[in-house]
Amino acid sequence: MSHVDDGTLHAYLDGELSPAEAQGIDAHLAQCPACRGRLEEERALITRAGELLALAAPPDRELPPFRAGDVKPPAGLWWRVRLPLAWAATVVLALGIGTYLGSGSAYTERSAPALAPLNAPVATPENQSGDLAAADTAARRMPQQSRVAARVAKRAVAPAPAARHEAVAGITRDRALSPANPAPVPVPAPQVGLGIIDGARRAEEGSTFSLDSARVLLGADPLVVPGAPIRAIRRAHEIGYSAVVIVEQALDSNTVIAVVSGRRSPVALGEVVVTGAAAMAARPDSASAAERERVDRARVADSLGAAPAAKASARLMRDETRNRPPRRVGNLEIRISGPLPADSLQQLLQLVQPVKP
Amino acid sequence: MSGVSPKDLAEIYRTTYRALVRFLYRKVWDAERAEDLAQEAFARAVIHKPDNARGWLFIVAANMARDDARRAARERRHLTLLTAEPQESTSPADEALEVESDRARVRAALDDLSPRDREVLLLWDSGLSYEEIAAQTGLARGAIGTTLSRARRRLVRAYEAGKSGEHVARG
Repeated sequence: MSHVDDGTLHAYLDGELSPAEAQGIDAHLAQCPACRGRLEEERALITRAGELLALAAPPDRELPPFRAGDVKPPAGLWWRVRLPLAWAATVVLALGIGTYLGSGSAYTERSAPALAPLNAPVATPENQSGDLAAADTAARRMPQQSRVAARVAKRAVAPAPAARHEAVAGITRDRALSPANPAPVPVPAPQVGLGIIDGARRAEEGSTFSLDSARVLLGADPLVVPGAPIRAIRRAHEIGYSAVVIVEQALDSNTVIAVVSGRRSPVALGEVVVTGAAAMAARPDSASAAERERVDRARVADSLGAAPAAKASARLMRDETRNRPPRRVGNLEIRISGPLPADSLQQLLQLVQPVKP
Repeated sequence: MSGVSPKDLAEIYRTTYRALVRFLYRKVWDAERAEDLAQEAFARAVIHKPDNARGWLFIVAANMARDDARRAARERRHLTLLTAEPQESTSPADEALEVESDRARVRAALDDLSPRDREVLLLWDSGLSYEEIAAQTGLARGAIGTTLSRARRRLVRAYEAGKSGEHVARG
């Protein structure tokens, strides 16, 4: 019998030969030291190739539930509609409250602080000096959104929905004043709405979010500064990210930093820019994609040697930590905020490591 | 034949979903996107009820990944500037970065293979049999072993070459 070729050896080792073929190979190997040597080489090669492929495997996640006959639209579609929905929800709420206040309710004074952040955005200096494209997009969207809002607002005049808006206004105010201690929420429905309104990074209530859940959410270990005790793990929402986990760590008894691990959403950046810009116009305090886009642009401009342009863009940032690009580790973008000088935070950022089990 | 039943499909989902994600991941190189595409492939299977659901899923997935890559190439052209910016090089000891560069090396090595060799290797690594791979790629069943042996050898060589090349470059 002639020697065994490589392909047959691989098929043999892969267990893909018929029993008769395999017996033939066995017989040959028994009397051919050369082919036995090659067999071991090929076995090592197969093992090595498998190891290499394992290096390029996606993170292990839980199997999502299978629902035959209950097919949800692909995630891409959801992301395309989500931001406009968030925008619409904001306008609807603002007009709803406005209509309600206009009716001369006794709650006027109580709700006023909540109304301000919802209506003010367009007039803030940041937006005036900001992206023209964003303003343009917002303007073009306005008529459409207003029609929707007006319809809903009409309904809001009826007693029952009005009561609901009042509840939302109250919660929004409370949250705006003390975000760290969210007030108890009496009505479940408005809370859902709030999640969208406060779409910027904001820890959800019931902050005890387990490390395991954080892992599942991120598809990777959240990042932490090694050695600092973890005070809390929170989940947050941020536009442009499909998952955001905030790990609060105590550096000493009165210094707590927040390490933010965010996974970018799979949506293409082009889509984020357009819809995110509209959301930005509505809410200046959200860390929206448009804002990050400016950071990115600043970086590109910088790399092209256009330093003045980069500086001009950088001035648009209010938050010091936002001036700096996030650190990227694997699929995650990492930021740190806390009561420390920016360069200290930057140094801490270089120390972060995936949390150990 | 009336196609796969929902119950069978649920079982295929349980046994094949991960493999399909892994297969897709090595084509789109984005875990999130790979999961989305795998979900969509199964969503389509629910509607189409193909007879050979497993093979069908991988064919659909391969097509979706190809379309996705084309679209991504178009949409992300301007992003090259952003992603090509220098990675922060201040923490060479970082484990996560090490994992990332290993992944990049394997990805580069896979790119070195011919499309057919790569496809056969990825399908095998996703758990398909020679029979299924042959049906999928149109190759003769007897050619799968030869293709795989070549693909594995090239993958390992390209990876090692890439690695030693980097060491030389670093000095």
